[in-house]
Amino acid sequence: MAERGKSVLREGMEKAPSSVEDAPEEKIIKALMNDFPTAITDFKKLRAGVVRAKIERRDLLKACKFLRDSLGFEHISMISAVEYDNRFEIVYHISSYAKRMVVELITDTPLDDPTVESVSSVWGGANWHEREAYDLMGIKFNNHPKLERILLPKDYLYHPLRKDFQGGD
Amino acid sequence: MAEMWINMGPQHPMTHGLWNLRVKVDGETIVDAEPEVGYLHRGIEKICEDRTYTQIIPITDRLCYGSSLTWSHLYCLTVEDLMGIEVPERAEYIRVAAIEMQRIASHLMWLAAYAADLGAMIGFIYTMRDREIFIDLLQALTGSRLTYNYPRIGGVAHDTPPNFERDSLRACDYMEKKLKEYEDLFDGSKVFMMRNVDVGKLKKEDAMNLGITGPLLRGSGCNYDLRKDMPYSVYPEIDFEAATHPDGDCYARYRIRMDEMYQSCRIIRQAIQKMPKGKWRIVAPRNAPAGTGLGRVEDPRGEGMMYIVGNGTDRPYRVKIRSPIFVSVSAAKHMLLGYKVADVVAIMGSFDMCIGETDR
Repeated sequence: MAERGKSVLREGMEKAPSSVEDAPEEKIIKALMNDFPTAITDFKKLRAGVVRAKIERRDLLKACKFLRDSLGFEHISMISAVEYDNRFEIVYHISSYAKRMVVELITDTPLDDPTVESVSSVWGGANWHEREAYDLMGIKFNNHPKLERILLPKDYLYHPLRKDFQGGD
Repeated sequence: MAEMWINMGPQHPMTHGLWNLRVKVDGETIVDAEPEVGYLHRGIEKICEDRTYTQIIPITDRLCYGSSLTWSHLYCLTVEDLMGIEVPERAEYIRVAAIEMQRIASHLMWLAAYAADLGAMIGFIYTMRDREIFIDLLQALTGSRLTYNYPRIGGVAHDTPPNFERDSLRACDYMEKKLKEYEDLFDGSKVFMMRNVDVGKLKKEDAMNLGITGPLLRGSGCNYDLRKDMPYSVYPEIDFEAATHPDGDCYARYRIRMDEMYQSCRIIRQAIQKMPKGKWRIVAPRNAPAGTGLGRVEDPRGEGMMYIVGNGTDRPYRVKIRSPIFVSVSAAKHMLLGYKVADVVAIMGSFDMCIGETDR
């Protein structure tokens, strides 16, 4: 343990591997493809350190557990819900401290049934992100410990980030 | 003893903004806690859907009055990612120097509020005085004191003013001297140490699982600083160190922020010296292509993140903002359990709460 009053300072970061075969993004994609051959329908390397993968709704929780336990993604950064003309898209940004990577995991739900499995049992930090998505976009998360409105009053009637919400009185 | 719920807030000296902390106490000991936020929800994400990309910059400034520049910088970074724009090098250096000044100003404001919370009023006066130096520098650079509207998509709004380099270097020299004074003032204060050391412990595994970032995470011994680990802008060109502390208590978080101010002085000095001559802004297209942009920065309070969906028009289809404090405050319970009611002020003070970005 460091002496009190002095914090530990770290020298410059290690160099990231440069060759294409060793690129960590490819490894993540391969690992995901191996375990979820049918679930992953679309994947690509977006930019350095960011991988995008699409996953079926029913496999979401399994894939998240796999990401945490086998691939070391110990941290969820953000959950965003986006409404399109024909679907809701729920985007999970899952990051790893050791690998310095972000996985952008996307799952779709139909407009008339916006429910997905909650991942707050996998990452405790997902709890409030999911409550926010419920509050503002009306996405229902199954098995969430406390799915209540968080930013808006409890008796509010609308989900304001939906495109049909116009505000006013 | 009978247990009962106490509301600390929305109007309470501890809260620093409008939010409510409900604590369940057994005598003086906290057995449960539940933060409530949302009092300052302005619907910024919805407002953004109705504005052009340039019009959103001043709105993102309003996310946090303490560090507005980092938020408008993050927004511009995300839109540049969406549009695929390269920013001139001079603009990147100006941005880095400016956001590090903002970081010092933000940390000093935190230190002022924290000192006042813990009864060290003298700390409040000194730190607020020295914060003015950096606010003045930013005012010379941008034209306003708190909400700057300075970064632009594709650069910054205007070049540095005359003598900016000289004044910045002087400010850094002055600040480093003053930081030593603060250390003497606070570390030498018995009351300050008693209220900080071993209070509000947060384990490293909890911090990682709960998604906590920034000084709270580094104070728990996890070495994760986006400026180092996923470098953006010109941070790879700059030599600095990320501070960590293994203890995970309020004192560790205080220590981290003090060390970050020293490092920020180093970064400003290098950014000023390495700043090349040339253009500071390119003209960005009005419309963004259909697609997504992702930006991540190390805000003074943690990891700020934005996700913007474009649809080919001049307005974003969806803007999602990840606020570091929104996540950290959801974990408040893990730090409060088992401590006394009097410790709430120190523990919640060490968060550096900013309600503007939490509620959006």
